[in-house]
Formats: sequence, C-alpha cells, structure tokens
Amino acid sequence: MLATLFYIAALIALTSTMAALTRANAAHALIYLIVSLLAVAVMFFLMGAPFAAALEVVIYAGAIMVLFVFVIMMLNLGDTGEDREREWLAGRNWFVPGAMAALLLIEMLMVLGDFQGVTSGNAVSPKAVGIRLFGPYLLAVEIASMLLLSSLVGAYHLGRRFIVRRGEH
Amino acid sequence: MNEFVAIAPLLMLALGATAVMLQIAFLRSVRLTAVVATVSLLLASASCFYANDTAPLQVGALLQADTYSLLFCILFTLAGAVTCVLSLDYIQHHGDEPEEYFLLLILATLGACVLAYAVHLASLLLGLELLSVSLYALIAYPNRSLLPLEAAIKYLVLSGAASATLLFGFALLYATTGTLHFSELGTALEQSDMGAALPMAGAAMILAGLAFKLSAVPFHLWTPDVYDGAPAPISGFLASVGKAAVFVVLLRLFLEANLFRYERLVELTGLMAILSMLAGNLLALQQTNIKRMLAYSSIAHIGYLLIVFMVCLDLSNRDIAIEAAAFYLIAYTATTLAAFGLLTLINEKRVEREQVQLQHVSGLFWRQPVLAGLMLVALLSLAGIPLTAGFIGKFYIFSAAVSGSNWILLAALIIGSGISIYYYLRVVFYMTKHAEEHKDAIELSPGWSGKALSCLLIASILVLGIMPQSLIAVLGSIL
Repeated sequence: MLATLFYIAALIALTSTMAALTRANAAHALIYLIVSLLAVAVMFFLMGAPFAAALEVVIYAGAIMVLFVFVIMMLNLGDTGEDREREWLAGRNWFVPGAMAALLLIEMLMVLGDFQGVTSGNAVSPKAVGIRLFGPYLLAVEIASMLLLSSLVGAYHLGRRFIVRRGEH
Repeated sequence: MNEFVAIAPLLMLALGATAVMLQIAFLRSVRLTAVVATVSLLLASASCFYANDTAPLQVGALLQADTYSLLFCILFTLAGAVTCVLSLDYIQHHGDEPEEYFLLLILATLGACVLAYAVHLASLLLGLELLSVSLYALIAYPNRSLLPLEAAIKYLVLSGAASATLLFGFALLYATTGTLHFSELGTALEQSDMGAALPMAGAAMILAGLAFKLSAVPFHLWTPDVYDGAPAPISGFLASVGKAAVFVVLLRLFLEANLFRYERLVELTGLMAILSMLAGNLLALQQTNIKRMLAYSSIAHIGYLLIVFMVCLDLSNRDIAIEAAAFYLIAYTATTLAAFGLLTLINEKRVEREQVQLQHVSGLFWRQPVLAGLMLVALLSLAGIPLTAGFIGKFYIFSAAVSGSNWILLAALIIGSGISIYYYLRVVFYMTKHAEEHKDAIELSPGWSGKALSCLLIASILVLGIMPQSLIAVLGSIL
C-alpha cells in the first residue's frame, strides 16, 4: 500500500510541476510549485526520510516559496490589483491545488501511526546530520557561509542600483 | 594543527575577506580597500609555500592539500591580485561604492582555490557556486550602464541551468555508488554491479555542467555576450581564473574517480575539443570587437586544453598530459590577464560604453608604446609564437597529442592555430597604423600602477617563454 501512496504523491508532484510551468499567472504558478514541493516532501517521508521531508517543507515550501508569493502579491497594489486578487481567489483557481494538497495531507495521516519506510535505508536523525556537519563537513559549513556573504554583498550592491536610480529621477 | 597549515591559503583569503568587510563598515576608501585586498591575496599566495611543507594531507572529508592544489592556488591568488590592481582606477569611474568590488573579488578567488583543493563533489559544488555567485555580482558591478546587467543576467540564468545539470549528475553517481568522495567514487565504480549506463549518464551530466563553465562548444553561446558586457578586468578574471579553476577540478575528478574507464565519455571530450577549436577560431575571425574576439579565442583555447583528456586515455601518457595541461593553464592565465589588462587600461575613464572596437586601438604603438607592447606580447603568446609562454604551452599540448597519437585532434589543433594567427595579427596591424590616419583616437593616460603591472605581465610571459625549465622542473616534481 505504501508503494501506491508513494506513486500517488509522485504523480501529484509531476502534475503540479507541469501546471506550475504552464500557468501564465505568476501567483498561480507559485501555488502549484508549493504543492509540488509538498508532494516531494511526502515522497521523502514515505521513503523513510522524515528529516529531509521536514526540511523540504520548512525551507522550500515554507520560507522561500511563501516569501515569493508575498512579494508577487505586494507588487499588485491599488484598485486594479484588488480586482486582480479577487479574480485569483475565484473557486476554479484554488480548487485544484487545494485538492492536491488535501490528498497529500490524507496520505500523511494514513501512514503517520506505526510507520516503516518503503526503502530499506536507515532514517537519518537531525542529530546525526548536525554531528556530521560540525565534524568532517565543518569546512563545507564555513565555505557555505562565505557563499552567503558573497550573495548578500552582491544582492546589496545590485539592489542599491535601483534605490539610487529612483532617488535621482 | 597541520590541517590548519595545509589550508593556510584558504584561511588567509577568508581572513582577507573579513578584514575588507570590516574596513568597509568603518571607513569607505577605495585605495585602502584595494591595498588590503591585494595584500591579503599576495599573503595567501605566499602561504602556499608554507602549506607545501605539510602536503599531501587530506583536510576533513572535502579538501586535499597537495602540490597540485597549491600550485593552482598560487596561480589563482596571483591572478586575483593582478585583477585587483588593474581594477583600482577602472572601477572608480564605473560605479559608485566601488569598495565591495574588492570583497567580491577575494571571495571569487577563494571559490577558485576551493576548487583547486576539492576532492569531494560537495566541495566542488560549493567552490563552483562561490566562484560563480561572486562573478554574477562582479559582472553587473558597474551601475552606470545597463550592458553589464544584461550580461550578468544571461550568465546567471544559464549558469543556474548548468548547476542543475551538474547536481543531477551528482545524484546519479551517488545513487550507484553511495559516496561523493572522488577516489572512493573510483573504487566504488570499479566494484559496482549496476552496469555502466547510470554512472556514465551521471558523469556525462557533470561533464556538461562543467563544460558550460568552460564554455566549450556546444555550451559556449553565452561567452561573447557576457565577456562583452562585463567590465574588462572581470572579463579577464572570468576567462582566466574562472575557466582554469573549473578545468583543474574537472581533471582531478576524472583522474581520481578514474572516469577515463568510460571511453565513450572521453571521446565526447575529444569531440568537444575539436568543435571548440574549429568553431571558436572561425567565429573569432568575424569579430571587429576585441572583447568578443578574445571570448571566441578563449573558447578555442579550451578546445586545445581538452585534448589532454583524450591523451590521458593511455595510462603511459598520463603524466605528460597532466604536465602539459598544467603548463598551458599557467601560460593561458598570464596571457589572458595581459590581453584583458590592456582593454582595462584603455577604458579606465570610459563610463558609458567600453571602447573595444578594432579602430580604437588604431595607432596605439605611437601613442602608448608600453600598452601596445603588452598587447603585442599577449597576442603573440595567444597565437603561440616562439619566445612566449603560449608557444611552450601549445608545444607541450602538441607533443602530448603526438605521444598519444591522436591525429585528428592534432589536425584540428594545427588548423585552429593557423586560423587564429590571422585575427591576432589583425589587431597588431591596427595598432601599427599611423596615428594621423585615425582622428577620433581616444586620449590615454594610464596610471603608474597600470604601467608597472603591464611591464610585469610582459616580463612573466617572456620569462615563461624563454626560460620555461624552472617551471617545468616544478611541474615534473608534482606529478
């Protein structure tokens, strides 16, 4: 049965990604992308990697994607924006992604009790990940921090261009 | 303790980045920032000799300090320092708040050095991303014109696609072997009973992702636009360090994971080499923009370099192939920096659009003999004329290909070099035109640092070309 659930989640991931690619409206595309990430998280969970699943939900679907949706929606201020937003909330627009997400939730609830992963691999606990990251892979963390520094400085400089421009004109 | 010594260059660079960051936070001064950045890059370069005492040493799971990595660390940090000095006058005229430029340059160099050290797919990815993310920002740095922004976006989008391909390749290799470490990958692939299809597809995807960064044909489409749009010193950095670092890590991956076992895959690199040599040189013929011409010629040079992969197929020729690649990379880096250095010095005070058409260098010999001399030596070296570093490099590749009897590759090398002489010498021809023939020639007044640096670069190319023995001896001892 677990295998069936896995394939259902995989199907949802595929269709929602296809939908995300083909939507003309950015907000709708992002909603589908969130569903796709949630479906991948459920796949991770069913394969016996609950920690990876949690990270997928928290970081991708939670932090990054919701931020995207916020920014896109904030760009539509004013009356026309309000009309557009009302149109986005029309039933046909949220029903399909909503149904997909609900299906994923039901799958999760079904397997939540006593649970063994589909694969034979061992589940990795957050503690084990932490020990590895600050043991043999410590340098990776340090290099990643440098990577973040460079993207931060780069984003600051590039963003500054537009602030200065707007002030000038 | 030994491990700290072994990664001393990386620590120096990280320290330099922190120092520059703090200095910018307290006091904005371009000159001071440039000095701090250059000094930290030079110190990092010097610390490589210090680190050499402990080599070879595996540091953590990710990095390996050996003479191979340290040699290229010296090369990358020196190239970074040269770019710093070249950029000082240029960037002041091309963007406000020029200080962060140097911070990003140090971080990009750090990324390149991590690539030189990398023996693990994770550090490969981190180093590559550190290098590319810094480069996105550096390409778009001048904020008084829109061309750099366009170039940066092109590079960002295509480079993102390349990284995704690379990661997919990693996943396929990991699925078959369960390890990401280069040499462990080698042993695991040996014992793997899952057939060659899956790991080969993975390795091919990794090759494609890295070939994009190397801009080997058919992954080269972004190169001319990005080089043309980027500020001249960054084009030089991108063409020299950006490519050399990727080549270094690709070669190490192939050697340690012994991906040469997949003969089809290696033949693919041979095909890429032939296509790059021919397409790069033929397209360069049609350019009147020197930056675009150098972009296409850099594609051709990557083609020459990729020959060594085919030569490596035969175990007995592997040593000479690696030696040839190392020498060629060093010669190519010095030469490319010199060529783009001239464009930087010409364009120091151009704000809107860089002047890089052929007619802009017309009569340069009579106006600025030192700069013209730099360009002449750089172009002769790129063309592979004797007495320059480029000649020895090409000769090395040539003899490696002969000992591997790769006749088709050799033919492409000779045809490509023949074509290239025409377009390199065309620039020289324009430079020797009499000044009065060209009225709208631009005023030039490069600072003393630019002039000193151009003399230094000329000297290094000539020394490498006339007396390569000492470097060859070093190369021979590391491999």
